Amino acid sequence: MNQLKPLKARIKDIKLEAEDIKTYTLSTEGSFAAIPGQFNMVGYPGVGEAPISFSSIVRDKCFEHTIKTVGRVTGLLNGLKKGDKLLIRGPYGRGWPVNNAKGRDILLIAGGVGLAPIRPVVQMILDKRELFGDVSLIYGARNEKNALFMNEFDKWGKGISLHLTVDEVAQASAWKHNVGLVTDLLDMLRIKPDNTVAFVCGPEIMMRFICRGLLMMGIAQSSVYVSLERRMKCGIAHCGHCQHFGLFVCKDGPVFSYKEVRGLPDGLL
Amino acid sequence: MTGEPAFRKSKKLVSKNAFFLWLNSLRKNYKLIGPVKVKSQTVFRELNSSKELFMEYESTMLSPGKLFIYKPKEDLLRFSINDDISIDEIPLISEKQVIIGVHPCDTNAILYLDRTFLGAFKDPYYEVRRKNTIIISLNCTQVSLNCFCSSVGAGPFLKAEAGYDMLLTDFEDKYLIEIKSRRAEELFDIKGKRVGASELKLKSEKEKSVLNNFKKTINVEGLDNLFVKNIEHPVWQHTAEERCLSCSNCVMVCPTCFCYDIVDETSMDLKTVRRFRHLDACQDIRFAEVYGGNFRQRRAARLRQFVLHKLNQTSQYGVLGTVGCGRCITWCPTAIDLTEMAKEIQRS
Repeated sequence: MNQLKPLKARIKDIKLEAEDIKTYTLSTEGSFAAIPGQFNMVGYPGVGEAPISFSSIVRDKCFEHTIKTVGRVTGLLNGLKKGDKLLIRGPYGRGWPVNNAKGRDILLIAGGVGLAPIRPVVQMILDKRELFGDVSLIYGARNEKNALFMNEFDKWGKGISLHLTVDEVAQASAWKHNVGLVTDLLDMLRIKPDNTVAFVCGPEIMMRFICRGLLMMGIAQSSVYVSLERRMKCGIAHCGHCQHFGLFVCKDGPVFSYKEVRGLPDGLL
Repeated sequence: MTGEPAFRKSKKLVSKNAFFLWLNSLRKNYKLIGPVKVKSQTVFRELNSSKELFMEYESTMLSPGKLFIYKPKEDLLRFSINDDISIDEIPLISEKQVIIGVHPCDTNAILYLDRTFLGAFKDPYYEVRRKNTIIISLNCTQVSLNCFCSSVGAGPFLKAEAGYDMLLTDFEDKYLIEIKSRRAEELFDIKGKRVGASELKLKSEKEKSVLNNFKKTINVEGLDNLFVKNIEHPVWQHTAEERCLSCSNCVMVCPTCFCYDIVDETSMDLKTVRRFRHLDACQDIRFAEVYGGNFRQRRAARLRQFVLHKLNQTSQYGVLGTVGCGRCITWCPTAIDLTEMAKEIQRS
């Protein structure tokens, strides 16, 4: 099987999430399975491909990618409409160890578009809420206009506890939550360190401080998981771009325990 | 991958004349590739006759594995865009070829590329060419200035037992020929002389005498830990600042560097797209760039990435990334030497 040959996926729906950020609902012919934290190489002929995490679980053969327009590939995707087709390859990589977290408390921490790979974990937990202990989500965005999935927070709040913050309030609007860094919210939490697993996704510099904060709270390095972003061309540990001191982020990750990647050169963790 | 499990490995002494004639007889069914002298260099290229072979070569700039099995540039797919997108695979070429005179370092480099392209995910372009390539390896009789294969277990005599087809050792007007795969056993119909204990003794004496000629060495024991402990050692910064040009020569000539970039080329009428890949290099400033940052912005970090990929990172495949061919030293415009960099760390 030629892993470099993409599949066509149809855009069933597009939702504007925030400035420059859209969620694409996709479906392919035939069945498709993926686990939270994995990614697809998403692309279009002529512009190439980029690694994009799943922002939903696969339901009724449909899955979602939430994509911020930042470069050539995402720029082209931004111009596509409902009914258009794009190309995907995947799913690739190692996802969040959700099954190992069953019966334990879960701390989900995300910054910016880093909430996208965490969302399928939330959906999975809400689907089978009784299998997990206390679940909290800490989410920080630049401002309320940049926050993702706001219209889903009410529903999420029924199953898990939410702690939201923004760096700045754009207008003196009705922002009812916190203002400040994500790390500040850690101090407000009371957790049982021995029984808690943390999944962290956001800018690497944010994850650096979150991970250190979590260790200070007494959580073991091996119970903290991060999702890394690297340049990728293939997704199958061949092209070498995502190499991180011997690890292939595409195949060995993108989800790693903090223990595996802490202090590696050319990273910020 | 070519060394099928159950068959009898044999050894025989064959005159060079008979061997070269046998090679010519293969031309009916195979493309012959081997080392040819071109002015002051030796290059691996297609042969019209085994007479063109220059088997006494020291080293080549480019390794045969990265010319004829893992291609520097490869067409991957074609797309056409009308109302719908259509995806066309390029038919995999399956021309049969024999590569003659592959030195132990370069043979080991091919086994290394196998770990990348025939691992958990298989690369069909590499796989088909690998299957259709007969590798005739050649033990070294001489040592170049920058060779350090003996320090990393990759030469000057080949120890690998499988993954290639035949192994030659120079016995003056004869070759000691070791058959390493079933297909080589079937293909090599020259009887030759049986090899006894005295020939094997002579072979190991030849090996010893070549081993005495190495000028360059490196002690790889404990290097992994040493690198990790000295990850910000000044050697990276000062070598990068004073000498490294980020030209990527080291990566391009390295027989184990496998990185590639994928490029889309759109036709003038915007209706078709050709997707191909070509070799890429971690020395390029954009290699590890992502939106909002670059994980190896500093030249020192890029230089370190190359050197550590060769000398550390046994965790990646459980083997060193270098085969000690010394090409990165030979072809560096400022003669940066990774063995010297390692020694600088070992001394401190």
